[in-house]
Amino acid sequence: MTALCTTRSDRPYCWTDALAPGGRRAFFWLATIAIVLLFLGPIVILVVTSLRPGWAVFYIYRGTDFTLQNYRDVLATEAVIHAFVNSFLVATLATIVSIGVTVSSGYMLSRFRGPIPRAWFGTIYVFRTVPYISWVLPLYLVCYHLGIYDTYAGILLPHIAVHICFFSWIMKGFFDGIDPSMEYAALVDGCTRWGAFLRVALPSAIPAIAALGILSWLYTWNEFLFALILTGHNTALITVTMAQFVTELGTAWNLMSAMAVMAMGPAIIITLFAQKYVVRGLRI
Amino acid sequence: MAKTHPAVSNGVAPRTAPDQPNAEPRLGEKERFMLLLIAPAGIVLVLFQIVPIIFGANASFRDWQLFNPAQTWVGLKHYLYILSDSTFLTVVLPNTFLLMFLSVTLSLIGGLALAHYLHRNFAGQWLMQTIILLPQMIAPVIGAMMMRWVFNDQFGVVAAFLDWVGFGPISWLAQRWPSFFIVIFTDVWIWTPWFALILLAGLRSLPREPFEAAQIDAAGAWRTFTHLTLPMLRPVIAVCVLIRSIDAFRTFDVVWILTGGGPARSTEVFSIYTYIETFVNLDFGRGSAAAIIGALIILAVAGAMYKVAGRVTDVSR
Repeated sequence: MTALCTTRSDRPYCWTDALAPGGRRAFFWLATIAIVLLFLGPIVILVVTSLRPGWAVFYIYRGTDFTLQNYRDVLATEAVIHAFVNSFLVATLATIVSIGVTVSSGYMLSRFRGPIPRAWFGTIYVFRTVPYISWVLPLYLVCYHLGIYDTYAGILLPHIAVHICFFSWIMKGFFDGIDPSMEYAALVDGCTRWGAFLRVALPSAIPAIAALGILSWLYTWNEFLFALILTGHNTALITVTMAQFVTELGTAWNLMSAMAVMAMGPAIIITLFAQKYVVRGLRI
Repeated sequence: MAKTHPAVSNGVAPRTAPDQPNAEPRLGEKERFMLLLIAPAGIVLVLFQIVPIIFGANASFRDWQLFNPAQTWVGLKHYLYILSDSTFLTVVLPNTFLLMFLSVTLSLIGGLALAHYLHRNFAGQWLMQTIILLPQMIAPVIGAMMMRWVFNDQFGVVAAFLDWVGFGPISWLAQRWPSFFIVIFTDVWIWTPWFALILLAGLRSLPREPFEAAQIDAAGAWRTFTHLTLPMLRPVIAVCVLIRSIDAFRTFDVVWILTGGGPARSTEVFSIYTYIETFVNLDFGRGSAAAIIGALIILAVAGAMYKVAGRVTDVSR
């Protein structure tokens, strides 16, 4: 009996109990192998590709030549560095602002009843449903006319706008999980509504907000459509720069993989070290 | 004074005349607080979603070529063009809904299976959860690139495997249905973890007693699943399916990187069609009309789904 197969003793029934013990273990191991192959396999292939020299990249499962040259080449490209800096700045700023803007909106949705919250919830629901392209497309022209196309503002503001609907909704869920009686007590003791919100409710929501912040950062870092439409040379973001590797160089899989692996870095670090927060933030 | 404040008018019983303001103003302190709370979010929403949508609606009625200053009003011309465009009707719409349906259904099934897999506590549980979570965390663009490389018809790992098994090479991205299969496979690969983790949280929050009762009654694993787990998870599943369907409708990056809508526009979905009309054919009027038609379609579909979901569970909670 390996440790991997120990089921929790306090849980009386597990679905695999229907199988005979030997079959159960075999089934479990098969499932494990399938999951690793399916979910980790493509990522491993990408990492291995990024470590192969250019001439050996096409038969990555043959030969044992490995090199870090691809990473050196990619890091020597100014456009790549530029894109990483841009993506980092945009993701960080968009996260801070969109969280700051939606905290209060979620709190309102959670704590009040009546026509205003109902109207706001309806608005959020409708604009969450509208496809991104339906407002990013004309936003391109709006930005162009405002003269903020290909500036940080031009890419930052839509990234904030896109989070408003969903985050307000998720924040509402966070505040729903916090008992409002403390706020009522604070109000009775003469605290203002703002005080009850900022000093009583907000501190209890901080862990949940941090979880959402991590996800928000990653979503912005990973976003492609906005970056494709709303950025030019000045504010190019990693996802678009990476996509250009494929079309321009066609067969430069080794360089593209090296850049993709670096772009995956934050995702992997977050998954490994902040998984608790990710799981919490994914909850709907 | 007495007229505006009936409540303090020297001892006379307060009366509220219809032409006089109430003692408490309509926009009370509470309402002002509520509006202030949503003001920042509302302003950003108006400026960067609602204003562009109005702008786009205006453009959709005009002959608006990019960088051509003459923007003549052409009425419903673009709408009529798109609604009679055979590419839109016979390729784009079916593809969009097929992708939406298959991606959501398959990720839901996969997610349920993975949630059950993770639900048992075993020593490597954290590691397996990490592996399962990764596709959701990395950028869809990277996921799509990986799959493009994995399914490369000459050098991909799948091609090597098929060769080893004895199948001839399949040029995945040169034909409609193999390309579409890869698009769906990639989308399911990215979104199954999302379903899995949400459903896992749902599974963990289920009460234990019904399962103990089922065990005492010697119900099989499958019966327990269909008669207990599924009905009890129904609210979570409904919300997941609703959110994910709306998001699947606007899928862009995965299709764009994998096929670009090709071969010969056969894998175009709504977002790709709109993008191509605007930035490849450089016709902003037509692109805007497509964007608005798509938005109206998904609003109608989502509204219907919301109604159905509302019957299953209170989605707004």
